[in-house]
This record gives sequence, structure tokens and C-alpha cells, in this order.
Amino acid sequence: MSGVAASADFAAITAKAKLSTAFRKKGILIALASGLLYGFYTAFMTLAMSKGAYVDWYGANTAGLSAFAVTYLVGALGAATTDTCSAIFALSIASARGRMGDFFRTIKTRPGHVMIVAAIFGGPIASTAYVIGLQKAGSIVVPISALCPAIGAILGQFIFKQALNARMLLGIAICFAASVMIAWSSLTGEAPEGMAIGILFGFIAAIGWGFEGCVCGYGTSMIDYEIGITIRQVTSGLSNLIILVPIFTLMSGDGISAFDMVTQSFANGESIIWFIVAGGCAYLTFMFWYRGTGMCGAALGMSCNGTFSFWGPFCCWIILGVVFGQEGWEMPPIAWLAAVVMIIGIFIIAMNPLDLLKKKELQPHETA
Amino acid sequence: MKPLNYALLKHFTTVPEACAADVMEVLRAEYSEFKAFKKDSIIAALMTAEANGLLEETRFDLDKNNELRVYYRAHEEGAATINHYIK
Repeated sequence: MSGVAASADFAAITAKAKLSTAFRKKGILIALASGLLYGFYTAFMTLAMSKGAYVDWYGANTAGLSAFAVTYLVGALGAATTDTCSAIFALSIASARGRMGDFFRTIKTRPGHVMIVAAIFGGPIASTAYVIGLQKAGSIVVPISALCPAIGAILGQFIFKQALNARMLLGIAICFAASVMIAWSSLTGEAPEGMAIGILFGFIAAIGWGFEGCVCGYGTSMIDYEIGITIRQVTSGLSNLIILVPIFTLMSGDGISAFDMVTQSFANGESIIWFIVAGGCAYLTFMFWYRGTGMCGAALGMSCNGTFSFWGPFCCWIILGVVFGQEGWEMPPIAWLAAVVMIIGIFIIAMNPLDLLKKKELQPHETA
Repeated sequence: MKPLNYALLKHFTTVPEACAADVMEVLRAEYSEFKAFKKDSIIAALMTAEANGLLEETRFDLDKNNELRVYYRAHEEGAATINHYIK
């Protein structure tokens, strides 16, 4: 009988180990996929904004938009169009998968309200701060915004008591260093006017995304991730379209109509098809971000997502440079090296490398 | 009626411990028509709650069909968090 019991115990231990390992691997893969899809989302949104009405707005500008409108309003309009397409994807998928009842029940609750607030931090606030930062300070804002995994991990420790030890901090620092390497090649030249304010906006973006990732990742421990991402995309799409675009239209002082701008962005067949593709990628990348961070915890999940600082330039090179033949999207060699460094950083966050050596040392005893 | 995941977590504040099958049995009457009411989804939700510190594992074994059962409980802090956010 004891032999049978021992066999059952061994089978249970094996099954449990298999379940835990599979869950962790799945979480890491989902979080990494979120970084890759962020690259495609960026590339297709950039592609959409190089077609249709955007050609005129960014080029000949026969509409007579001010420099402010070209910089901020057109940027916000592109983001609003993508996010709205993404929200339609999210609502359609939630409906098809029988989540709409719980969606409406959830948005009335406290976790639902928290998710909405976090989505506003990450959607219109962080994204807009990122755009302004880029305009003011240039590409140095990229590595600064890539501080969001570190900020998310630190917030996760303070707000949700999630584990964060010295090894994980080292891994986060390595990932950040890799982001700096990616941006390094474009950091040459004189500092543009308004550098300090641009860097400040870069930090605001990092804090916004860090807060969003940490809070919404944790939120998926209470809210079904498909419902969570539907709340996020609907919040982001509506707030960008109904609040941000009209505010920028008023601020531009050009006397242009927000409605006309939105209509031109949505009604142009050349660009809307790519906005729809970008919206699909946005839906997937943010859903995977929330789900992966929920499954892995803030530090590991957000660092895996932080690979977007490599996948962004990489996907732009593939889609815009190789497929559509646009110039200026080539990847510098340092970016490839940085990708390897980033993988090392994520590996260090995920596990203690010394554990591999310990396992090897144990093998002879285990087989004996 | 609460969202499915809320009902799932709330159940752990009322019992010493439970596994996925236990929770499904309790929630079956109200939630069996939900598309998300599947064992894999419930297990994933419980493991995500554990990864975020809401629940903790108490034990595991095999049922009579040799399927793994992992039991969880809401510790004091986890139960307080669940009750704070989910009314």
C-alpha cells in the first residue's frame, strides 16, 4: 500500500510541477509576444499615418495646419484612430466570446473603475506625453520611457507587495541599458531646444505606462483579462477621440473642425485599412501585456514587454523599410547587440542563473 | 450577479480552502451558461490570483480519475484585499 501511495504522491508532484512550469512558460511567452506585437502596432500605425490625408498634413499641408496642430493634433488623431479601431476589435471579440455581460457588470465595480483610471494614465496621458517628449527632446525619450518596467516593478512592490530582489533589479537595469544602446546611435548632435521639458515628459510617459502595467496586470488577478483589455481599449479610444483630439483642435487655434479631421482620418480608404491592422495589433499587444504581467508579476511581465524598445525599430524596418520600401528604417548593428543584452536581462529577472549550475551538480545524485 | 471572476475569488473568503472543481461545483447553478465557465479558465484564474498574492496554495493531490487537484486559500491579507475591492 505504501508503494501505491508513494507512486500516487510522485505522480501528483510530477503533475503539479508540470502545471506550474507550463503556466510560468506561458506567462513569459505571452509577455514577450506583447513586446513583439507592440512593434507591429507601431509599424502599422506609422504606415497608416504615411497615407491618405496624413500625406498632406505631414507634407504639403494644403489644409494650412499650424506647427502645433501638425505636431500634436495629427499625432493624437493617429493614436485616436488606432485606439478606436482597437476598441471595436475588443468589443467584437468580447461579444463573440460571451464576455459582454461581465464587461458591463465589471465597469460598475471598484476594480473596473481602477482599470479605467489606469487606462487613462497609460492611454491618453502617457502616450501624449511620449509624443510631446519626442518632439521636444528627440530619441533620448525612448530609453527614458523604457524605464516603465522598472517603475512598474517598483510600484508593484510598494502597492501590491510583489517580490523584487537585488537580482531582479539587476535584470531591470540591464534591460534599461539595452534600451539606451538602441537609442544611442541617434543621441548624437546638439541637444534640441526644450530638452529638459522633453525629458520631463518622457518621465511622465514612463510613470504612466509603469502605473498602468503594474495596476492593470494586478487587475487581471480579479478581472478576466479579456474584459480588462476591453475596458482599456474602450477607455483609451473614447478618451483620445472625444477628449484629447477636440482639446488639441481648440489649442491649435487654427479654426479647424475636430469633426472634419476625424472624418478624414476614418474615411480615407488608403490609410484606414492600415489603422484597422494597427488596431488589431494594439488589441493583442495590450491584452498580452495585461495577461502576461498578471501571470508573471510586474517585474518579469513588464520587462518582457519592455522588449518593445527592440521590436519597435525592428518591425518598422521590416514593414516600412523592407516591405514598403520607405527609406531611413534600417537597424544599426548596436540595436542587434542590445537585443542580446535585453534577453540576458530578462533571463536574470526570470531566474537565478546559479540555479542552472546547482541542477547540473545535482544530476549525478538524482540518477544514482 | 457578480462577474464570474469576482464570484470565484469571493468564494475563497468563505471557505478554508478549495480547488477548481470545488469552486465550479458551487458556482455551477449560476454560471454554467458562461462561455468562460471552463476548468482550464478557472485554473488559470486561480493561478493568476496566486501569482499576485491574493491566494496561496495549501496542498495538491490526484482525484479518483488521476487528475491533479490544487487547493488554494485566501490568507488574511488576500481575503482583506478581495473584500476591499469586491463587495
